[in-house]
Amino acid sequence: MINISNVCKYYKPDVVALEDVSLDVKAGEMVSIVGQSGSGKTTLVKLLTGEEKADKGQLVVGEWDITNINRSQVPYLRRQIGVIFQDFKLLPKKTLAENVAFALQVCGQKPARIKKIVPSVLKIVGLEGKKDRYPHEVSGGEGQRVAIARALVHQPKILLADEPTGNLDSINANEIIDLLLKINNFGTTVVLVTHNREIVNRLKKRVITMDNGRVIADQAHGKYIIR
Amino acid sequence: MFTGLYRILKLSFQDIGRNIWLSIVTITILILALFSINSLFTVQIISQNAIEAVKSKVDINLYLENNAEEAEILELKSQLEIMPEVKEVNYVSQQEALSSFREQNEKNPEIIQALRELGKNPLSPSLIILPENADNTDVLIANLKVYQSDIIESRDFNDNTVILEKINNITDNVNQVGMVIIAIFILTSLLVVYNSIRVAIYTHRREINIMRLVGASTNFIYMPFIVSALIYSLVSVIVIVALFYPFLTLLQPYLEVFFMGYNVDIVNYFTTHFWSIFGIEFLIVALINIMASLIAVKRYAKV
Repeated sequence: MINISNVCKYYKPDVVALEDVSLDVKAGEMVSIVGQSGSGKTTLVKLLTGEEKADKGQLVVGEWDITNINRSQVPYLRRQIGVIFQDFKLLPKKTLAENVAFALQVCGQKPARIKKIVPSVLKIVGLEGKKDRYPHEVSGGEGQRVAIARALVHQPKILLADEPTGNLDSINANEIIDLLLKINNFGTTVVLVTHNREIVNRLKKRVITMDNGRVIADQAHGKYIIR
Repeated sequence: MFTGLYRILKLSFQDIGRNIWLSIVTITILILALFSINSLFTVQIISQNAIEAVKSKVDINLYLENNAEEAEILELKSQLEIMPEVKEVNYVSQQEALSSFREQNEKNPEIIQALRELGKNPLSPSLIILPENADNTDVLIANLKVYQSDIIESRDFNDNTVILEKINNITDNVNQVGMVIIAIFILTSLLVVYNSIRVAIYTHRREINIMRLVGASTNFIYMPFIVSALIYSLVSVIVIVALFYPFLTLLQPYLEVFFMGYNVDIVNYFTTHFWSIFGIEFLIVALINIMASLIAVKRYAKV
């Protein structure tokens, strides 16, 4: 599903963000990418979402070589990859349902289809009863669920979760991870970028460890090995 | 398609609404720019009318000998009519000149009395020449000055070239100053619109970020700002139409007094040329605004 071969990314003047990174993520897999700040995790997310381009190497998502993706193609890539972040990125003046619907509206979906999809994704994340609430009226965990619902509206093949539990307490964090597991069980490839040791150890799934822009470990049923 | 258009319009009105004061300032600057352009245009129309009025008053008369034979006069008239600079030659006989003079002075008994005491017609027959093209009057005058005929007693050329030159000079000066003012306003408008769109992008940065995240197309992200620029243009042109007509209506009586006897209807001029004036103005303002907003979105709303 994701194939990264010998990818390098440098920032001026002499910052090495990624150095010869190669990894392969199969369809339906759930992978945790762990590492300290500055290890290159976020750069990897940026390359996968087309926000940045690699200086060397090759990136393939599905069967799409996105190494030299055109700017005009980036929106189509992002409809295939759902992304969630630590800060949820919700619109405070829109209800939870409107936040989810917004993702469909800006991509030109018809109102009838939006009406059909929004309740179904809110049901998947367990927020069907709170659709008319505003982001400030729900907990952090629920806010992240809305972000996940929004990421799911395009039925992405891949869900990239960049530090999704960073702003949550352990209970809410575990609930979000359970939700990601549920989504993974539906067949969606989930890439979890985190430095939460407990979560990674609890998952007992594949763990890719990064340090100084390099992949230093790739364990099939790994643990968090960074101190 | 209509759904997309509706959503773009909605976002665009949100841009304007969220920065309402900035939007008002932007539209005000555009209105001032349009007012200066239209004022300059009005000055041009007025000066054109003034020039036409002066040109139409060009008076070229050849006074003929009292004893000139009718046949000789008609012969001279025919020769003058052949000249390319001449449009028309009117013959005023001695008797007609006297009748006209009496009519003009009928309220002046002293002149009429003096004329009666004179006992004879003191006026000369004349040929009144109308130039073919008012712009070439000076050529005609120059030719007539050297035109030889025994029956020409005197030549009267009411040469308006100097007045025309003065009007042209004034118009040119007004145009030059006006162009500078317009250039300043256009530059200001460009900067103000650019800044407004920049601020609109700033206030919408969260939405833009999310739009990018969920895969909104570049056009969908850019379009609301372009539409906002178009709305600014449209509103400013509508307001200028609403403001300028009362202004012209106020100006009209003064023009009528100034150009008494001439048909100078500035309101009618703007009405008959409505689309070519305000339509073109809208297109130009829209073009400038779209340019400014495109620069702003390319710079601040990178997708």
